[in-house]
Amino acid sequence: MTVAIGVDVGSGVVKTALFRVEGEKSEWLSRWDARIRQRNTFELVEESMKSVLDAAELARDDVDYIATTGEGESLPGATGHFYSMTTHARGALYLNPEARAVLDIGALHGRAISIDGKGKVLTYRMTSQCASGSGQFLENISRYLGIAQDEIGALSQQATKPEKVSSICAVLAETDVINMVSRAIKPGDILRGIHESMAERMIKLLKSIDVKRGMVMMTGGLALDAGLVSALQDGMVQQKMETTVAAHADSLYAGAIGAALWGAFRHGKLKERGLLPKVS
Amino acid sequence: MRTFIGIDLGSTTTKSVLVDENLAVLGRGITNSRSNYDVAARVSKQEAKIAARFTLFRNALGKDAEHLLSDLERNFRLEQFLSALRQLEETCMGYLDHPRFQGTKTALRGSLDAVFRKIEGEAQEIYAPGAARKSDFFRDIAGSRFMNLAEAACREADIPFETMLNIYDKSIIDVESRVDPDETVAVQMKNGLTRSLASAEGVGVDRGEALSALGTVLAIELEETYVVGTGYGRVRLPFPKEHIRSEILCHGLGAHMMFPGTRTVLDIGGQDTKGIQVDENGIVTSFQMNDRCAAGCGRYLGYIADEMKIGLHELGPIAMKATRVPRINSTCTVFAGAELRDRLALGERREDILAGLHRAIMLRAISIISRSGGVTNEFTFTGGVAKNEAAVRELRKLLKENYGDMTINISPDSIYTGALGGANFALRAVLN
Repeated sequence: MTVAIGVDVGSGVVKTALFRVEGEKSEWLSRWDARIRQRNTFELVEESMKSVLDAAELARDDVDYIATTGEGESLPGATGHFYSMTTHARGALYLNPEARAVLDIGALHGRAISIDGKGKVLTYRMTSQCASGSGQFLENISRYLGIAQDEIGALSQQATKPEKVSSICAVLAETDVINMVSRAIKPGDILRGIHESMAERMIKLLKSIDVKRGMVMMTGGLALDAGLVSALQDGMVQQKMETTVAAHADSLYAGAIGAALWGAFRHGKLKERGLLPKVS
Repeated sequence: MRTFIGIDLGSTTTKSVLVDENLAVLGRGITNSRSNYDVAARVSKQEAKIAARFTLFRNALGKDAEHLLSDLERNFRLEQFLSALRQLEETCMGYLDHPRFQGTKTALRGSLDAVFRKIEGEAQEIYAPGAARKSDFFRDIAGSRFMNLAEAACREADIPFETMLNIYDKSIIDVESRVDPDETVAVQMKNGLTRSLASAEGVGVDRGEALSALGTVLAIELEETYVVGTGYGRVRLPFPKEHIRSEILCHGLGAHMMFPGTRTVLDIGGQDTKGIQVDENGIVTSFQMNDRCAAGCGRYLGYIADEMKIGLHELGPIAMKATRVPRINSTCTVFAGAELRDRLALGERREDILAGLHRAIMLRAISIISRSGGVTNEFTFTGGVAKNEAAVRELRKLLKENYGDMTINISPDSIYTGALGGANFALRAVLN
């Protein structure tokens, strides 16, 4: 039996998941997430560890492996670090065994990953050094519109005349949005237009790594945005792709789940080979 | 009296310059462009008229009144701030009736009330004599106080900070869209003067004289004889075509009016950066602009200031304290913000990182100038960023490295360059 914690430090949110793994069986015991919002990341991670351990009624000594992913590489006290592609692939498969590709849209980057049935990364592609179409971009836009994040999906899905936008600078988007509002375009139509341009960008990524069919699993915070998910699905139909998009209520945790599971796996391997440090 | 007004509708701020028949600048006004251009044009025009009335009042009282006038201006701003704050509170409270807030209404009301009482209490301090303000805009001053206080209030009342933020975001837009009519402004000025006369010891100005002079000044009708609009938002103005001029022409002419020897102009505005070459008459011979990307524009610095929760005015002074200038790797503004956070987390000095960010924006600007035809003496730097001493320092370094020694002109009123050119076009439209 192995107890592993996965910590996914994103540029916007810290996600932590605690797992108990026994052979093929893994049990997700507790979870924690919080916006970083200019606080010290390491302190937040500490808080998250304490919280997931308390919730699972475990102590720090019970933990066999602390796995970091995302930007958590330099975290003091971690046992090991796994790259985001690997953890998101593993997490996506945990949430949806049918997944054969992963779309991770985070605060700054978008990633498309193609995987096999075991969660092995076959190939991947990331967005470049421009935040247009990122999670941060969408968040900025909704703030300019005075719309809370949980309102976005529903509003976008009510759109009747989506406002076409090509890629806009995430920072200058404010002005574009102001202009749209002053042209009396409805917030829902603006959001749907934005969702469509984001979807277009992500579909390009998928095509660039040759994903043409099968289940595409969304991970990261934006998977909960129903408006974006439906824009993605519609975009795929338009482009005649034989893919299905799926999201999960726990998509946000995919990276943390993957990290915990890989951590537990590595711990098991080390144990088998007798490579674990002796506890004095 | 006949007046001529140029309005420069920038993406971030809208500027107005009001001149008389002799092309003498009577007043300048500036406001946020966030709400919409019609409103921004009205607000900045009103601000320019307020400034013009201050100028006329100054002229009426003579030189001994400087002390009284600066005190009056401060008290007038305080009056304005309190009035906007009352509007903001009313609007926020109004949003609580939305079904979204049904469950949390009482808690939110209590927290909002606490936050506004605190800001109200701080207002005197914010506008105390000699107090440095982070910004000239209500949104920035009230906004930064609101965020700080709301975060604490939310923790206390156990309500999500996002909700408070959302109510504020909805409300501030409404408040910014209101333009005070002349009567309100007149009352605020009179109140301000009464306050100043009561508190200012030995101002060297006779009370009765001051009050009657203000009465006379307030009674003068400032006729908008001709208005010219320019800048990013000019097409959105309720103006006929002949009242619109290209911002490139206005900036070229404005720079020429301030510094007749100008040949190359760099204008860093909120969301575009322009390199302009002009001849000896201020006529534009060539120009280059950046394409819709915030890197290399004023918004870049604005975004960084927001990231650090400091005012735009504070960036330059902090960056001036740098001991080394690191090379920032990110081009994109949002990524630069993330890089800033990472570097801070790794223990780099805030001052140094900021200096690096200032150098990054100026590097982008220099590349735009070189594409517009290089740099010819004299060089004039305009736009809001010209007020930032750290940006200016990096610019001087880069110009020296790439083009050698030359005259570099920077006016304290450089942000009004485009509006000044516009005012000149307005005057020419009537007199020629």
